[in-house]
Amino acid sequence: MNLNDYEAIWKRQEVPVGACVDIAALRETFETKRRKMAATLFARDLIEASAGVFVSAVLALFWKHQGSAGWPIGLAIACMLWVTGAFIRERIRTHRSRLGPDAPMLAKLEAEIAELEHQRRLLLGVATWYLAPCAASILIVLATVLFNAPAGALADHRLLVGGFFGAYLVLVGFLYRLIWSVNRRAVRKQIEPRLEELERLHKSLLA
Amino acid sequence: MSPPANHEATFQTWIEEHRGIFVKVARSFVRGENDAAELQQEMMFQLWLSLPRYAGQSKPSTWIYRVCLNTALTWRRGAKRRESRIEPEVDISRLSADAATPADLAGNKDLLEQLYSALQAMQESDRALVLLMLDGLAYREMAEVTGLTENHVGVALTRARKRLATLLKGVTDELE
Repeated sequence: MNLNDYEAIWKRQEVPVGACVDIAALRETFETKRRKMAATLFARDLIEASAGVFVSAVLALFWKHQGSAGWPIGLAIACMLWVTGAFIRERIRTHRSRLGPDAPMLAKLEAEIAELEHQRRLLLGVATWYLAPCAASILIVLATVLFNAPAGALADHRLLVGGFFGAYLVLVGFLYRLIWSVNRRAVRKQIEPRLEELERLHKSLLA
Repeated sequence: MSPPANHEATFQTWIEEHRGIFVKVARSFVRGENDAAELQQEMMFQLWLSLPRYAGQSKPSTWIYRVCLNTALTWRRGAKRRESRIEPEVDISRLSADAATPADLAGNKDLLEQLYSALQAMQESDRALVLLMLDGLAYREMAEVTGLTENHVGVALTRARKRLATLLKGVTDELE
């Protein structure tokens, strides 16, 4: 036998003529699934973008309450809006760079690889673009409250204030480490194996 | 946004006319009837999502092959929730009755199974090219589906055919 014989058998292979499935039911299932996916993505985008805006609004009210002495809270608001901006930028980038399933195989593969590499960078760099601005924002607000406290209040409670800041720094350090570990594990267990698989496929396609 | 009515008609027509592509790609990429059926449904779902972008820029079969192969290449077995599946109405694993005798038919079915097993054992990139070759696509069409140049398709396909011949054991390739 040679390959031509196998090709002939392949061509004689009976494949279904007609839909062989209930198209109306299929359409209904797909539309439900599509709407659910769109709703989930929208809810996630809304929560991520609005959380930072909500916190900024609360901080703005607090600044108003503090008066002009509360000006550093403006910096805290800037930090929160930076995080919100990062989420929005990320959503726009994902939306623009996404290739549909109808793209040529090579282009689709390269897009998937680029997306995974980007996700890896985001997860490993979460301390820079997410944790640090949030922690800085909280620190600025706390410092502003303390420095604007009534005269003598700080001096009377030096130990307490020092202890509080110390505890805050320890907590933030612990949270940073925990979040970084969780993200690193996600990268190692999920992203990197998938990336290796796709890079191997990419290499074999171009070999 | 939901696809407009003409896209629904297009979807129906394409499923009816090109059902074989879904069946063959699914059988080549996964083992087991359940996985094949799930992959087929996922491919049809991705086709549904992609249809609003179709404006006649390629042949329907090219578009469908791209969707099916991209879905098959990135599909993770069991990774998705088991969605409610629409069951096919016919048994699709048959050979045509063109064979001369029942013995012929049984023999051809074994050879077809052997071919699918060989396809499943190949590297995915080679598998995709061989699948397109078996379905009679020209190099130009394969290039459109894969995004490779026609020259590259030729070189890669020659290599893939040799691998297929090796996997099918004792089979010679007339190109050798």
